[in-house]
Amino acid sequence: MASLLQPNRVVYLVCGEKKIRSPLSQLYFCRYCSELRSLECVSHEVDSHYCPSCLENMPSAEAKLKKNRCANCFDCPCCMHTLSTRATNIPAPLPDDPTKTAMKKAYYLACGFCRWTSRDVGMADKSVASGGWQEPENPHTQRINKLIEYYQQLAQRERQERDRKKLARKRQCMPLAFSQHTIHVVEKYGLGTRLQRQRSGAPISSLAGLSLKEGEDQKEINIEPAQALDEVEPLPEDCYTRPISLPEVTTLRQRLLQPDFQPAGASQLHPKHKHLLMKRSLRCRKCEHNLSKPEFNPTSIKFKIQLVAVSYIPEVRIMSIPNLRYMKESQVLLTLTNPVETITHVTLVACEEGDSDDINSTAKVIVPTKELVLAGKDAAAEYDELAEPQDFQDDPDVVAFRKSNKIGFFIKVIPQKEEDEDVTVSFKIRHDFRNLAAPIRPSEESAEAVPEAIWLTHHVELSLGPLAN
Amino acid sequence: VVAPNSRYDEIQNTGNIIAGAVVCVESEIRGDVTIGARTVVHPKARIIAEAGPIIIGEGNLIEEQALIINSYPENIMPDTEGVEPKVMTVGTNNVFEVGCVSQALKIGDNNVIESKADLGRNVILTSGCIVGACCQVNTCEAVPENTVIYGSNCIRRVQTEKPQPQTLQLDFLMKILPNYHHLKKTVKGSTTPVRN
Repeated sequence: MASLLQPNRVVYLVCGEKKIRSPLSQLYFCRYCSELRSLECVSHEVDSHYCPSCLENMPSAEAKLKKNRCANCFDCPCCMHTLSTRATNIPAPLPDDPTKTAMKKAYYLACGFCRWTSRDVGMADKSVASGGWQEPENPHTQRINKLIEYYQQLAQRERQERDRKKLARKRQCMPLAFSQHTIHVVEKYGLGTRLQRQRSGAPISSLAGLSLKEGEDQKEINIEPAQALDEVEPLPEDCYTRPISLPEVTTLRQRLLQPDFQPAGASQLHPKHKHLLMKRSLRCRKCEHNLSKPEFNPTSIKFKIQLVAVSYIPEVRIMSIPNLRYMKESQVLLTLTNPVETITHVTLVACEEGDSDDINSTAKVIVPTKELVLAGKDAAAEYDELAEPQDFQDDPDVVAFRKSNKIGFFIKVIPQKEEDEDVTVSFKIRHDFRNLAAPIRPSEESAEAVPEAIWLTHHVELSLGPLAN
Repeated sequence: VVAPNSRYDEIQNTGNIIAGAVVCVESEIRGDVTIGARTVVHPKARIIAEAGPIIIGEGNLIEEQALIINSYPENIMPDTEGVEPKVMTVGTNNVFEVGCVSQALKIGDNNVIESKADLGRNVILTSGCIVGACCQVNTCEAVPENTVIYGSNCIRRVQTEKPQPQTLQLDFLMKILPNYHHLKKTVKGSTTPVRN
């Protein structure tokens, strides 16, 4: 169960740009580089934006325009649950005869969790179910737009300067007359966009993304700097004397979720458009192959490509831990599971003296010296009663049991530290791996030939809990 | 745990179910319990009058595994002498959802006690209150009208409207429940239960 409920008990070391220790279930395996990859050493790419409530897709340009929010769905300003549209019948006077009333459908927004409704803030009911909700106007919109414009201009200028410097450096190896001309042309025809594309892996500052269209007439935009006031609005007189009624004031979270209004009273909470989510694909930074690519459709939770480590790398789990005592040898039962359909040979090696990866160990470990052989995974084996157990000549001192593609085996642990912290052991696990998905060679023989086995080594750390008292 | 020989069982053990109420036989009703007309008690709901009578008004919906109990306070034992029995009253159009526990001695009208919610003995629900799923209220107070208690932190807010009475649901249940369950016998009583 350790991989499900206590994933951090067994961690694998990933040597990417920096060393990451992470449970195998959270790792990826690049089968082109044959290396483990963690979320920290892959590049993340946004595939598409979608609304988690109505599951509507939105192109990223449109999403940016709508501030990454869905146009139709709302969140409850009170408890942040998704709001639903509720219909009721209300009596309304007939247009031709105001003395008579007829039942009319009316729609309002309601939260099923905290029972907030759009009537609470005095929003009028709508006669149509979709859209058209009145939204409060931000009093600072003009100022904000002006500031954005100003900063776009600054960003633009900065970029031009940077480009010019770059070209000036290049110019030294160009004929002078020609180079003058080049600068002009290149600037006009979208050098900026090309530069941007090159940097796409790096985080682009949001301002750069907002840049003005090139070739547009550039007006000088000036802003008035904000003024500091000496006098601020005084507090209401009864501020300190009036008892506070908690249901009437908003919580900090409710306030900060509406940064443009920051309402103090619960009666001023207006519904917020729902935040969009995104589908994200992961790419190996070394070979640029995709490690994870979800299906485009937001209603699908499947993946086109999903190279998770647990389906390629044998998984170590802790099965039982005896009472561990300082400087006493005890046997810990571990299991090894083979995720692939071919037989896998595994050897465990204790870390050598002075291993730079071995920084957390607090105990000496003695691992089985013999090679452990893991049977291939067979999805149907569980239901196939007649299947004959494959005969592996196992040493009963090492292998405790064997069950389809899993074995249980013992390691010996001698804790070396008396402190209260968890006993941690680490070792290397070396196994063969047949890369079935290696780049296909054009030769015809390769179809039959079994792919060459390569040997992979992983550094594994187990946290075995505290010493027994 | 209810002792079988608790005081009120001995004195009065006749459930008083007014005609028009739908009470399934699989529900557990113990002690002096009065159930008003148009109230629906689902199978496996428990209403236990241990330390005093329970009077339930009209149009209440008591769902499966709900427990309404007039229990002894912690400091009073069933055999303590000289303790006046306290009456528990439940008003009209309240909903006790699946698995809730209510020990509140006074519940007004149009309240909703959602699934797995827990009401202590010293709470008074006025009316139009909603105790959210899994919320525990164990204070000594009268909860103001139209209060909504929700979320894992039992956050409170006041809503503008009281919850709608579950009329349609009650009608439906009163039609459908007798088809699949035996009902407890009702008494033809002109005395409607105490309404405040």
